[in-house]
Amino acid sequence: MTTNSPGININITGIGSVSPYGPLAGLIPPSALEPIAITAWPTAGLRRAFLVSPFRPASVVPGLKTRRLDRLSAWALVASTLAIQDAGIDLSQVDRSRVAVVFATCFGCVELTEAFFQSAVAHGWSGTDPSTFPETLANAPASHVALFHDLRGPNITVGSRGFAGESALLQAASLLRHGQAELAIVLAGDVLTRAVYEWYETANLLSPACYHSETSPEAGGFIPSEGVAALVLEAAGRRAGRAKVRSYAQLRSGRWASGGQPVEIVRQMLGGSDPSLTVCTTNGAPCATSPVTAVAREIAGDGAIIVPPQAVAAGLSDTSALLHLILALSSRPNSGQMLLLGTSGDIGFAALLLELR
Amino acid sequence: MTDLQKTIVVTGVGVVSPYGIGLDCLQEGMLSGKCCLTPAKDAYPGFTGTTAPICVPLPAEGSRSRYSRTDRLAAVAARDAVAHFDCESAAFRESGVVMASTVAGLTEIDPEIAQDPAAWYRRGGLSRAASYPVAHVADAVGEHLGICGPRCAVSVACASGAMAIALAANLLLDGVAPMMFAGGSDALCPFTLSGFSSLQALDPSPCRPFDQNRKGLNLGEGSAVLVLETLAGARARDANVLAVLRGWAMTNDAFHPTAPQQQGSGLAECMRRAMEIAEVGRGEIGYVNAHGTGTPLNDIAEANAYETAFRGRSLPIPVSSTKSYFGHCLGAAGALEAAITITAIRSGALFPTLRLTDPIESPGVDWLRGEVRRQPLPLAMSASAGFGGSNTVLIFGSGPA
Repeated sequence: MTTNSPGININITGIGSVSPYGPLAGLIPPSALEPIAITAWPTAGLRRAFLVSPFRPASVVPGLKTRRLDRLSAWALVASTLAIQDAGIDLSQVDRSRVAVVFATCFGCVELTEAFFQSAVAHGWSGTDPSTFPETLANAPASHVALFHDLRGPNITVGSRGFAGESALLQAASLLRHGQAELAIVLAGDVLTRAVYEWYETANLLSPACYHSETSPEAGGFIPSEGVAALVLEAAGRRAGRAKVRSYAQLRSGRWASGGQPVEIVRQMLGGSDPSLTVCTTNGAPCATSPVTAVAREIAGDGAIIVPPQAVAAGLSDTSALLHLILALSSRPNSGQMLLLGTSGDIGFAALLLELR
Repeated sequence: MTDLQKTIVVTGVGVVSPYGIGLDCLQEGMLSGKCCLTPAKDAYPGFTGTTAPICVPLPAEGSRSRYSRTDRLAAVAARDAVAHFDCESAAFRESGVVMASTVAGLTEIDPEIAQDPAAWYRRGGLSRAASYPVAHVADAVGEHLGICGPRCAVSVACASGAMAIALAANLLLDGVAPMMFAGGSDALCPFTLSGFSSLQALDPSPCRPFDQNRKGLNLGEGSAVLVLETLAGARARDANVLAVLRGWAMTNDAFHPTAPQQQGSGLAECMRRAMEIAEVGRGEIGYVNAHGTGTPLNDIAEANAYETAFRGRSLPIPVSSTKSYFGHCLGAAGALEAAITITAIRSGALFPTLRLTDPIESPGVDWLRGEVRRQPLPLAMSASAGFGGSNTVLIFGSGPA
């Protein structure tokens, strides 16, 4: 049941995000973030979540036209542009047929899917909106990224219970390693809609902090979140016309499985104890209690630094890995090894080992 | 890494199609020239496009209540793929899954969810909605087979099924699992029928891919799952090798959200890359199982792509669209067509496009029509494309001696 992506020498050279912290290029300045009250739909009392405050995409990316797009596609366009800018890449100097886009999502374009259902309720199945239908497809955001930046390499949209973000990162690394692309834009994210939020609520997955403003997000539990995080991945040593290439981290190896115990497998991946190891944990799936911190302690020993799951990222559920990674890099800029570890319930585990630069 | 570790082979194929369960069923049905397309209004009143309902009831093993119809199709196809396997081996237990779908659990969701989600969940929708994420299809296959390698789902519109196979091959080369189950599954539902109908993309009659008088596509449903492993792994367990996956490639048109680039440049580049990876010349490919939807825009772009990719061959490239038999199965299409391509290689039977009477003028293409053509087929290609500009090309060869 071991999964293994050996010998990855892939650098993370650019970061962009549209998250509850706002649209940002590069690292996210550490700050406490509270969930905010939902006002987009009627709720029976206070309901809170980590939400992306409305902004005009063209104010971040001049010339960007998003009027016909849902928020997920718009955010993917903004986040990818910010990541490319952050990497210092001039796409006019790049062979765009060798640039891949790998996008991880759980719910896809659920906003427009709900809008399509609304049109079916209002007008019947024979009166649905033709302009909405193609934008309901899960790969619409990735294809808009390709269209906007003229990226003609592999364009992949993936989902994976608990670990879609990790899956996207490892698939992108695989494309680079096998020469199927020279550069990869990896994105992960979801939007929060009424149907999604009320599904979590009906399934009793929400944290008390969703209902009470005096309850800290640190109290634990699942607080839904939304946003899209983007990373630029390049094979180590690639310069692409740039005088200097900054690397936030090097993706060294990964393990990913839907079953089995992660402790021995991840220990094997680490290849021995490392006193400088930081383990950043992710829940992997929405649940009130997670064994991940205990598993991390068992893997890394008492001396390692264990960072608990960040609520704002964990709220992204399957697609949390990239935002977790960005927040971890933002709070731990020193050198050493970092393990991004997610495990929860019966969904298995994912572990990514990074060398901080 | 040795050649045996780098060679990806197919050791199992499972299919659920309108012909029934199994590759033999599919092959026999297609050899007989039977067209499964029937009026959609029989199953979905109000829809005038034609479609291909599943003709056989799904067996009980795939009918767990929290599985969507798409999940059940996938689970049954996966079980069919391992009908002759040792399911107790370590390699089997550690195998992974890459499954494609575009519809996934949308089949289980009523429009009323958009009006009052909580009320719909309380009326029994909670577990049905759980199958909505596309990842659920991969989980259904993994759970059904009891395997615990990595699970991933792919959703890139109509190129999904082929891309799942390509990504699974990449993961095998990475050593992530000893064996991968890869394919696609999609069930018919009002959402997609309505969507394609609103785009005026449906032909009310049985579709006519590559015909000058084509009027659109027909939707279908089904599933296909391939078992992929390295040749080293297959030899170690003395597995029967059905075919070799010689090459694969993925590109994007970056042209338009729904329309293909008119010259088919993205698809042509995808074919060129796949042949380069497979280390085969354009003259060596004996047959292309085309995407061939029957829509005006797709088919002309695709014909142009074949002209570009196979320019310089001494003989025109034989091409057919097998969507003319049972419609366009969306996320399952690329996987079903991969299965048909493997069948063509193994049987030497090249299936013609049905109802192709007045083909697009394309001198570099030998449009297969009329009778089944029989010829040795060492190498064949399956081409897929989809909304969002995604293209995937797979090249299969006959098994090693």
